[in-house]
Amino acid sequence: METSAQPAQTKPARWKFIEKILANPVIAKELKGRMRGRQGFILVSVYLALISFFIGLIYLFLSVDGGLPTNSPGYTQVIGKVIFSTVVLLELLMISFIGPALTSGAISSERERQTFDLLRTSLLSGQALVFGKLGSAVIFLLLLVLTAIPVESMAFFLGGVGMAEMVVSTLMLVVSIFFYSALGLFFSSFTKRTLVSTVSTYAAILLSFIIMVLLLFLFAVFTSFLYSSSNFQSAVADDIMNVLSWFLFSTNPFFAAVVSEAILIEDQNLFISTNGMFGSSSIPLLSPWIIFTAFHIFLTILLVVLSIRFVNRQDT
Amino acid sequence: MSPIIEIKELCKHFGRRYAVNHISFNVEGGEIFGLVGPNGAGKTTTMRMLVTLLKPDKGEILVGGHSIRKKPNEVRRIIGFMPDSFGVYGDMTVQEYLDFFGACYKIAPNQRARLITDLLELVDLGHRRDDMVDTLSTGLKQRLGLARVLIHDPNILVLDEPASGLDPRARVEIRELLLEIARLGKTIIFSSHILADVGELCTRVGIIEDGKMVAIGTLQQLSERVMPHRQLHIGLLSRAEEAQIALQSDMGVSEVRLVENSSRASLEVDFMGDDEAIHQLLANLLAQGYPVVHFSEETKNLEEVFMRTTKGIVS
Repeated sequence: METSAQPAQTKPARWKFIEKILANPVIAKELKGRMRGRQGFILVSVYLALISFFIGLIYLFLSVDGGLPTNSPGYTQVIGKVIFSTVVLLELLMISFIGPALTSGAISSERERQTFDLLRTSLLSGQALVFGKLGSAVIFLLLLVLTAIPVESMAFFLGGVGMAEMVVSTLMLVVSIFFYSALGLFFSSFTKRTLVSTVSTYAAILLSFIIMVLLLFLFAVFTSFLYSSSNFQSAVADDIMNVLSWFLFSTNPFFAAVVSEAILIEDQNLFISTNGMFGSSSIPLLSPWIIFTAFHIFLTILLVVLSIRFVNRQDT
Repeated sequence: MSPIIEIKELCKHFGRRYAVNHISFNVEGGEIFGLVGPNGAGKTTTMRMLVTLLKPDKGEILVGGHSIRKKPNEVRRIIGFMPDSFGVYGDMTVQEYLDFFGACYKIAPNQRARLITDLLELVDLGHRRDDMVDTLSTGLKQRLGLARVLIHDPNILVLDEPASGLDPRARVEIRELLLEIARLGKTIIFSSHILADVGELCTRVGIIEDGKMVAIGTLQQLSERVMPHRQLHIGLLSRAEEAQIALQSDMGVSEVRLVENSSRASLEVDFMGDDEAIHQLLANLLAQGYPVVHFSEETKNLEEVFMRTTKGIVS
């Protein structure tokens, strides 16, 4: 009798991970539902139309009345850089709007249509449900980003966009996609009504922006008070204020993107800046995109873990 | 043989109100067990704890020997739950809907296609498999719900108000479908307000009121408990009053009422005794020459049992 066993063909871990994602029934169901009918088509079309409209507008402005000398050697590169930056900023803006819209009803709508109990009594784990909902939203948003590549590629024709900018902007877009999707999902995981969840998600985004501005304002007031009321001079205080305000600013995707690009152009440095915001501090600060990425990855993981806990929680 | 479901001293309260208050009962494999009770009695809460959706405050439920607290996934594997709402995805076809839940129960894709065909045949929805779920009528959605419950071939079905909101024809169809499913060897626990359905379908009935199980048993046992006598209807061509007096002195007869209607007089007799004693009573009437044209025993009526058992307390 032949006993020699065939060596087991083990698939690489990344394939197993992809297989696991594709085996999640929620992802397939959600994507099919999203692309069925006109809803998906309209969303992609409106997204591309808006980006194209703004790019067209900027191109017209720069080429007709931009104030840039057309005989300048770097003229086309400047246009290329502006187009690229505009596309990225528009994509960030759209993601911060569409991401929560896709997920803020993900779990609450299951409760509303009374299918949540059916899912919870099946063998589908809370983790699979949350990952399925998040995964389908992320895949759809990645599709949006992919569809904008032809518009973005206009910048590549004109030049001026380096590999570092490409990588950093893509990383920031992907992190934003995960974060804004996870934020909507989090509110959806514990509210019973989609309307409540949607309003809470957008309120949280707005509130985080207001709090950031408010804190920065307080920092500025506090610093000016400190310096004007006495002969106070402290390098340590400067450094602390700089680090705090830099961190706060870096949590905002638009600031992080713009300032990271400015540092890259001015300092030719992708990772470190020495230009603080207060006083004469020259403490080295991490480029905002790094802080943005790390902070939002941490928040995304936290939101997903909390969402799973809320979904797994039995009714009390 | 140990029961397939064992519920021991189950308690659940919401705030200061007890929704389920020390309920205990067992269900044997293959039974059709009906839970009846007024609104807010605790039927749905009991069912939701049974299917692992709610955590009991006290007590234990064992399903197929598995604790709902310690092994909820094992319980989910052998139980199929249909809530009182339809819970359907309107933007899917009938086939996609079942396929999705098949995947949720981790049934291999190559097995699902065959399984779905068989289930749609069972619930008579094969001709609608490519239709959107939203286009189905209420009755058909309920049948689809039953197919979904059966997708992972569970031994136990827990159905909360399966006939609620259905028209009379759909109700009859669902009832027949449940009997067919029971013939497949499944254990069915269901709650209903439609006592006629419960009476006709169930092998045993539990009556819940104010979070407590106030009565449990077969319809026969419950009837005997609340109505210890048997009720006989005797129709006579004539001499009804004479027969009433004669019967009052008969052994086992506790009360005889004369019922006059337009066509003929009849008697309602409350009788304590077995079938042999009933036969003897009829033989005596005939021997005495009374013109008996109708003789029957009142069938046990769950509605009567329910009304006599419950006090109308709603918590």
